[in-house]
Amino acid sequence: MKKIQVVQITLLIVSAGFFTSLFLYTDTYNEIKAVIVDTTCFSCIKMNPVTHFTFTFNTLNNQPHPTYVQDNLTKIGPVFLAFRADVCAACDKMDPILKKVFNVEFGKKELFHQIIEYQGSNISFFHINIDHASGEFLNSFSIYDRDHRSGVPMFVMITLGNNSGKIQPYYMTAYGELTGTHNDKERIEYFDKMINKGIEFYQENIEEYIKQEESN
Amino acid sequence: MKLQVKRWISQFVFLVSANLGAFGFKTGFCYPFFYCNACPAATSACPIRAIEISVKDSNWRFFLYPFLILGFIGVLFGRGVCGWACPIGLLQRATGRVARGLKKRFPVLKRIGELRVEHYFRYIKYLDVIGLAMIIPFFVNFMFTDICPVGVMVGTIPISILNPGEYTPNGFYYIAMVVFVLFLILIFVVERGWCRYFCPVGALLAPFNKISMYYVSVDKSKCTHCNLCSYACPMGIDIPNMDRSLECILCGKCVNACPKNLIEIKRG
Repeated sequence: MKKIQVVQITLLIVSAGFFTSLFLYTDTYNEIKAVIVDTTCFSCIKMNPVTHFTFTFNTLNNQPHPTYVQDNLTKIGPVFLAFRADVCAACDKMDPILKKVFNVEFGKKELFHQIIEYQGSNISFFHINIDHASGEFLNSFSIYDRDHRSGVPMFVMITLGNNSGKIQPYYMTAYGELTGTHNDKERIEYFDKMINKGIEFYQENIEEYIKQEESN
Repeated sequence: MKLQVKRWISQFVFLVSANLGAFGFKTGFCYPFFYCNACPAATSACPIRAIEISVKDSNWRFFLYPFLILGFIGVLFGRGVCGWACPIGLLQRATGRVARGLKKRFPVLKRIGELRVEHYFRYIKYLDVIGLAMIIPFFVNFMFTDICPVGVMVGTIPISILNPGEYTPNGFYYIAMVVFVLFLILIFVVERGWCRYFCPVGALLAPFNKISMYYVSVDKSKCTHCNLCSYACPMGIDIPNMDRSLECILCGKCVNACPKNLIEIKRG
């Protein structure tokens, strides 16, 4: 057997062996699928999705709201979800703004939850890293992805609204670096507007909602 | 069946299989060629993107994964992937004829290929992969995919058409558009210009040409140095003296061009 053939066969066996063990014994295949293939890479398309400042009742594919959101809505107040991923330049830019708005500290990879008093009202704040979250927290990323952008960062304000007589969770989704804003000050104002709108809707509908839940 | 017809079929099959995501078929593999995961129809992940994420996030598995896929296929076929599977290779095969025509009409283009430093331009692709995809992302928030012209072609443009008014340009948009226009000019002016000088996946596969199972061999003892093979070569290789050249994409044009049938694609 020639020397080059030995090299070829060794390399084939080594690469196939390593690949098979990565495939079978680690979660790399699913991670590559979730992190790269299923998530839209905004740096690859060099564009950010447009945010529409409108609230809606319809979740993506009409999926039910996750239980942790419903619990927080009945017991605490409006819910704010901030989604990010490990490698995401826009998320790194938006995180300090969130920390300033909500006056909290959290780690990049952390699933963080805190009840925050925002101008006299309680808000339930969640910071979710989709590369590390699982179960309901990960699923909520697709539930609230209203415009089907499947990319991060994504911010969701969930409150209550009157859907022709019935009180239901009512939400809006903001994407990327928030369309129409150009600096940190404008972004803070945008979040403030989003949160205040959420609190306003919540206060209008909470009593009715609790009555409705009790009668059920 | 003729070799070049087989190659058309192979390239077409790979183009379709790279776009099966349009029917909901998404996998967690990396493409062994150059294609973008941001394409709405993409089946798999871009190997360069996986490497960038691994560097940014110190994730050794994401680093090893594309290398193992490219390594396995590289040992078998070397850069044959560029000639037989890559959709961007197919695009350049289509524009190559134009590039050849322009070269005849404008002698200045011919002179680019004759430059003594042309050989060194080919190292740019290694800088692409080592510099832009590995070293720079580690230190700053800038990487190859931010300006990748293939991302513009198969990601940005289809997404803008499918969702009009739903996206706004980010900081790298205009730079990437300039790079994209340069890319278009390049592939129409220099035959397989992107493969020759800039393709990072080609750079990862190139070293495997030295040990690949399939390679182009020339019977030098009978060669009359008519140079018809070198003229036919889309990668501009001096075929009689190539000896497992890093640039060979196993397209087989030299095999067809040789009047004495001294060139063949060998296995072993």
